[in-house]
Amino acid sequence: MAEAVLSFLDVQHRHKIPTPRWSKPWAQRLGPGIVDLNLKLYKGSILGLVGPNGAGKTTLLRMMAGILPLQTGSVMQRIGNEEWTRVADLRTLVGHMPEQVRWQGRTTVRNILLELGDMRGTQTNRIDALLNLVGLQQRQDEQLDNLSQGMRQRLSIAAALLGSPKVLLLDEPFNGLDPVAAQAFTELIQRLANKGVSIVISSHMVAQLGGFIDRIGLLHRGQLLDEGPLEDVETRLGLNGRYMISGTGKVDLNLRLKGIDLERIEETTNEDGWSLTFRGDSQEVLQALLSNDVVLSSWSPLAPDLVEWLCAATGMDVRDISLEVASSAFLPMRTKEMGEDE
Amino acid sequence: MSDFRRIRSMAARIRRERLFGIRMNIMLPILLLFLPGMAWGFSDPNIILPGGHQPSTAMEVLFYASLGVVFGATMCAVLLSFDGVSRDRASGMLEVRLAQPMPRQHQATALVLGYLQSILIPVYGLMVLCLVIVRIRMGEWTSLEETLVYFASTGLILLWYTLFALLASTTAKEQGTAVAFGVGVWFFFTFLWALVTTMVAYASGVAVGEANDPGWVALEGALDLLSPNGVYHHLLETQLPSVDRGVPMWQTWAAAIAWTVLPWWGLQRRMEALVP
Repeated sequence: MAEAVLSFLDVQHRHKIPTPRWSKPWAQRLGPGIVDLNLKLYKGSILGLVGPNGAGKTTLLRMMAGILPLQTGSVMQRIGNEEWTRVADLRTLVGHMPEQVRWQGRTTVRNILLELGDMRGTQTNRIDALLNLVGLQQRQDEQLDNLSQGMRQRLSIAAALLGSPKVLLLDEPFNGLDPVAAQAFTELIQRLANKGVSIVISSHMVAQLGGFIDRIGLLHRGQLLDEGPLEDVETRLGLNGRYMISGTGKVDLNLRLKGIDLERIEETTNEDGWSLTFRGDSQEVLQALLSNDVVLSSWSPLAPDLVEWLCAATGMDVRDISLEVASSAFLPMRTKEMGEDE
Repeated sequence: MSDFRRIRSMAARIRRERLFGIRMNIMLPILLLFLPGMAWGFSDPNIILPGGHQPSTAMEVLFYASLGVVFGATMCAVLLSFDGVSRDRASGMLEVRLAQPMPRQHQATALVLGYLQSILIPVYGLMVLCLVIVRIRMGEWTSLEETLVYFASTGLILLWYTLFALLASTTAKEQGTAVAFGVGVWFFFTFLWALVTTMVAYASGVAVGEANDPGWVALEGALDLLSPNGVYHHLLETQLPSVDRGVPMWQTWAAAIAWTVLPWWGLQRRMEALVP
């Protein structure tokens, strides 16, 4: 297992919401945010931070980037096998790529990086290397106003990589990218992870993260519901080992699969054919169906989507989750266990 | 790179951007009209001001021409810097800048210096031109002390308005609010302050607008310490022996320091608490 480089212990930041009254025109109350979060970041790992809109992903990334102060808790770092030490300024360790930066103005790509590099104390030759890395070498003298969305995203990641950060935070990096640019972006992220950079990617689209993240964090209503290697979290939430199989014609699945130990999750039948979602030994099921001359049209492992992750982690119905997001209310989290107790 | 060099570098970038931007092209004719134009007009040997007064010294001409600074240069300072923070916030650049390890107080200092320099450079250039115009028209240079006070006080009033505009820009969530706040403050001190003075005088039982009434002169002088434009004129009046509004020089300079320190401190605090 990769070594942990940064550890967030019981960190909290709740936004202050103005609640003016005649007696107290400047009064504020604590609103949504991040509550008592514990998280470790590992060298060379890619953590996918997923959650619905309003879950607190951007707030958490801003806390991790040192932009929002920690109201409680602490951040520790470890270099190699040394002892954990408290981090004085996160901004020296972390590179942050915000969700949407409209790079604009008549300044050039190179000049804006030089300017940000000055703020970070980055050498000029490092900027040349970064331009090369993100594929903007040929566009370095282009004015910001003339950049396409894809180039702006590349510039954002170049800006985040100034100062050779140990941790790279990417907030919804795939927004506005076409599939080709998204693929190039994914490869770039993987290259950086291979170099030992710990990467955190937030997204509300789990499918976009599939295949290249190795850890997942489920965020909902400001709380980290679960975090860990993808397979471990899947197992903990009962979302592992699921398969979907479909075929044509009318088939009596009860008869064909008699005697096979499997958990049927969903079964549908219509005029065009049938489909079955199950958990169990997929090879055994496949063999049983094929030996009974059942015509199959598809067979694949079933990866959970964001809604399934969240429903499994919270024990809530999808409609409850979406309504809460719509109301943006900050309420104590109802865990799966609490739901079961009720 | 040292902290000082970082601040200087960031300020230089803002200065370059603003000094050669479109806004400056629009404002330069205004500044030309207000600064050298007024110096030319007030240095006319045949000019008779309301009340039959005629400027007799170079400093007196510059004092009257300083109306150009109050009406034109301060407005330009506000229009240059009103979106110093709010524009970056709207574009997402603020988040990128705040994520850099440069302390926020240093970033605030660089903002102030950058925007101040971008208005100060053209204004100082035109003020030199004013001195030359006055010399040509009246055959007289201002003394070294008068020149220093003229430049220092103009630098201070531009600093104050730059600070107000940047402070507004940190508070405003969008550009409209930022410009409304910045221009509003300018409008209040430039046009409405006379109304405030009049109301206070009326409430105090002082004859309003009576230039020969010592009560009115003293009240107006005292209230002017509460306005940046008033303090600017008090500073210039320190070089006009014929003017005495009953405000000691130390009070004038104390007010100038207060107008400098308080908004600067406010801006630093706002920057510390700034959320993208």
